[in-house]
Amino acid sequence: MAFVEIRDLSKKFGDNQVLDHIDLDIEKGQVVAIIGPSGTGKSTLIRCLNRLEKPESGSISFHDQKYDLTTKNHKEILSLRQHTEMVFQQFNLLKNKNALENIMEGLVTVKKLGKEEAREIALREIDKVGMLDRINHYPAHLSGGQQQRVAIARALSMDPELLLMDEPTSALDPELVGEVLLTIKTIAQEGNTILLVTHEMDFVRKVADRVIFLENGKIVADGTAKEIFDKPSNERLRQFLVKVKMLEGSEYNI
Amino acid sequence: MPNLFDLKLVFTQIPKLLEELPVTLELVFFALIISFLLGVVIALIRVANVPVLSKIAVAFVSLMRGTPIIVQLYATYFGIPIFLRYVNYYRGTEYNVNGIPGIVFAIIALGLNHSAFDSETIRSAILSVDKGQIEAGKALGMSNFQVFRRIIFPQAGEVALLPLGNSIIGLIKGTSLAFSCGVVEMTAVGKILAGRNYRYFEVYVSLGIIYWVITLVLEFIIKRLEKKVRVPKEAPELKAEELEALRKNLQTVSAARPVKEGVANGVC
Repeated sequence: MAFVEIRDLSKKFGDNQVLDHIDLDIEKGQVVAIIGPSGTGKSTLIRCLNRLEKPESGSISFHDQKYDLTTKNHKEILSLRQHTEMVFQQFNLLKNKNALENIMEGLVTVKKLGKEEAREIALREIDKVGMLDRINHYPAHLSGGQQQRVAIARALSMDPELLLMDEPTSALDPELVGEVLLTIKTIAQEGNTILLVTHEMDFVRKVADRVIFLENGKIVADGTAKEIFDKPSNERLRQFLVKVKMLEGSEYNI
Repeated sequence: MPNLFDLKLVFTQIPKLLEELPVTLELVFFALIISFLLGVVIALIRVANVPVLSKIAVAFVSLMRGTPIIVQLYATYFGIPIFLRYVNYYRGTEYNVNGIPGIVFAIIALGLNHSAFDSETIRSAILSVDKGQIEAGKALGMSNFQVFRRIIFPQAGEVALLPLGNSIIGLIKGTSLAFSCGVVEMTAVGKILAGRNYRYFEVYVSLGIIYWVITLVLEFIIKRLEKKVRVPKEAPELKAEELEALRKNLQTVSAARPVKEGVANGVC
């Protein structure tokens, strides 16, 4: 049995079938990147996994604990959310708390740790993302890249089994993307299990153990970065890679 | 020159007026509690769009905002006793209609009136909280109550602080109408004093000064509160020696702690 098993995940927005019976297994320590054209449900997929969206069908299992993703039971949803953490495109740091308080928040309110213990963990995590000198800064005082690094530290401090990342660099100025990618690379090498939606193809090629190509709500291609980028078997995938300039296209002109 | 304006009297009668300041403050205090609590309840009902209750809340807010406070004061003052007499008549109870002090009617009328305005302030403040902030709390695993208590309430509170301050100031001045319910507070005393010596202008100047000073104190308090809840403009820098101490501490802690499982297994 895989570390994380996702089964039969379907989601509709109105008549639009965004996710179409998705099955996905993720192994411990794996970094799985989801790529695909916009509007194909990449973000929706990971938002369904922690119930920020409610799917029509689907389940997720962490080792032997299985969750029905359509449940309305509030307790069950809270329990599910403790297995995962999310890094958002817009960082979503709590704007009225400083960097350290942002990381301590979940530890104190959700994990019910004492203030001292929470602070110690928060300091350790914030140091790892290289933000120890800015623990008193509020989100408004930090650049986008710095905010995202704090957000990553916040997610990791909760010790999630599966880390969900929803286009973590898409809202950043180009010169700030590098520092966040470096942070993600470091946490990937530390053995965290990550499901990542991104448009940074070069980064995916270097860091992801596995790449999934999603189109029209279905997994069209699934393989190592080498398989996906170097010898794409699928025609749709090939077209996509040409568009994002990862493949030489025959009729490519500006 | 005749003594048309007695400036001295303006100040000498202030202590007499201030004797009834506690009544004014009592009115403000209790009306404030009613208006704030009911305002939050109405705002939550409308934000959550609770069926039936939401419609009632809309009608209530419209009625309260659409009629003058003086009408509302008289309506409660005369209306509640009439209502109680009906209750007494039909249910055989013996509520003493004349035993209710006038201040109760004034508190109810002022509280209800301001709750309508406050509910709109609070509602718009709640709606102003960014959806991403709420999702961040949910993703961390917070319960709905924790999200409200730790994220929505403080952030909406910051937005609502200044308009609610306005509302309190309005309430303080609204208490000057409580005489219509037979409550003898500061303005009422002023009217009584002026009735004796016909120095109406002087007494209203005195009252104006008192209300203004109360408002100044309140403005000061609100300013202090605002400073407390607002994120500081300048980033609070960490001193070099503090940072050094944190670093040292982290090193000793991490030396004593086992390495994370994933790294130890060499999973990359």
